[in-house]
Amino acid sequence: MPKAVRGVLVQCDPSIKSIILKIDSEEHAFVVEDLDDQTLVIKENMLSILKMRLDAALKENIKTPTDDEESD
Amino acid sequence: MSVSSLASFEYLERLPGTTFKRLYQQPSTALAIFRRMLPHLAKTFVMALLYMSKPLPLTDLDLWVQPNSKRQRDEALSLLSRLHIVTITAPSKEMPQVVSLTKTFGPALRLALTGGGDYQSFGVPSSDASTANVSLNYLDEYARTQWEGILHYVVSNVGDGMRQTTQGPTAAVKQLLEAGKLVARGRHSGGGITQAGFSFLLQEANAQVWTLLLLWIENAEQMGMDSVEVLSFLFLLGSLELGRGYSIATLTSSQKKMLTHLVDFGLVFIPSSESNQFFPTRLATTLTSDASALRSVAAGFDAALSSAAGAKGFIIIETNYRLYAYTSSPLQIAVLALFTKLTSRYPNMVSGRVTRDSIYGAIAHGITSDQVISYLSTHAHPQLIKASASHGGGPVLPPTVVDQIRLWQIENERMKATPGFLFKEFENQKDYQSCVTYAGEIGVLVWKNETKGLFFVSKMEQLRDFIKSRKIK
Repeated sequence: MPKAVRGVLVQCDPSIKSIILKIDSEEHAFVVEDLDDQTLVIKENMLSILKMRLDAALKENIKTPTDDEESD
Repeated sequence: MSVSSLASFEYLERLPGTTFKRLYQQPSTALAIFRRMLPHLAKTFVMALLYMSKPLPLTDLDLWVQPNSKRQRDEALSLLSRLHIVTITAPSKEMPQVVSLTKTFGPALRLALTGGGDYQSFGVPSSDASTANVSLNYLDEYARTQWEGILHYVVSNVGDGMRQTTQGPTAAVKQLLEAGKLVARGRHSGGGITQAGFSFLLQEANAQVWTLLLLWIENAEQMGMDSVEVLSFLFLLGSLELGRGYSIATLTSSQKKMLTHLVDFGLVFIPSSESNQFFPTRLATTLTSDASALRSVAAGFDAALSSAAGAKGFIIIETNYRLYAYTSSPLQIAVLALFTKLTSRYPNMVSGRVTRDSIYGAIAHGITSDQVISYLSTHAHPQLIKASASHGGGPVLPPTVVDQIRLWQIENERMKATPGFLFKEFENQKDYQSCVTYAGEIGVLVWKNETKGLFFVSKMEQLRDFIKSRKIK
């Protein structure tokens, strides 16, 4: 009998996935199942928290170019 | 299918079977669901089954469908059974599967189409001619002011320093908007708009009406109303005729109570407090019309909206991301401010620039790049449209800007999340294959990995039944 697991399927780049795994490695609160290098299943209620943590991690690591000031 | 019907649809699908049983007691509901919610193939099935006295074997039904359209057939049938319109017997060894209309839906639809019975399900036109001189224009104007009042209330929380000039919606509507988390009440300045509120603003009028009505239904129980009664009353409204007075006296007491709320929304107009008539407005009568009819009527309504608020198209956007909007409506300016960095405001125009940060801001609030682009192109200034026509009917907006807005979104969207269910631990490859194929056919399959024997679906109810039925065999 097959098993069904409730969760949220997350599809992303391998680089993003490794950040997610890193976030998860601290307390293992997010990931339900690691599927392949671009896909994983996480807990439904943790999605928004994960998004926040991911944004924070990205902000730390990636420098975003600022808009050139327009001259009016 | 339009966005609005999708929203109402998802809500309906979540209802339990007993609710449907009660809903379908009203012929108007059955008709509304039939004409509004179903794709053409599903309609064909229902019409064919309507006067069939005995259940039809599924194999016979398959004969009507071209073999290469099996997917559409499965989708149609799965929809019909989700909406409790047809019942399909569980497969077993002795009996072939048969399909028939449910005992509630079939008779209700027959009544709706051919008449008979004393249900007053389609409203009772009022014969009182004294106040019958309510013109269509007046009704449209009335609906527009009521609805814009609600939108203004949602928006006025966004625009800084933009105080509300109109008196705004009633307390009940405000409460509803808060309950639906379209606005959040803050400690000081009256709170702020939420993510849901932003996307609400960008929807077309009819979708907005449905969003608000669904909120209302969900909160109906707290207000001492029965959600089933509310729903069937809404479907009733959708079948009424615009510009005609209907009698209040024949309504039940709970329906009368609902009328006061619908007046707040601008769906219904009552000439005076002691009047015995109500007039449905365009907002109400287009609730359940067919998708294509809806679009044209909604477009007509939009035109009415914009003719009062200024010219239809008012936005000019240049290839250097500068944006000029010829409008003085606070509503439109506030909507623009959601995704543009506005720099200067003149009596009849605002100017600004679409920047990476402004689009990021919009995306953070749950607005998609497509929504922004479609807003820009539907409200494009006639000059932009003329320019594109002179270049042989090219795109209305500068392609560089459109592409860049999309790129900004992709840059920001680092993961795609789909809630649902992961299926795993299949006993053998054959089991896995048939389940995956079935999931693909009913259109719920999101992801699969054949070597690992895993797949992910967005809905599981039907698949579970399918797996169970395989177990029996």
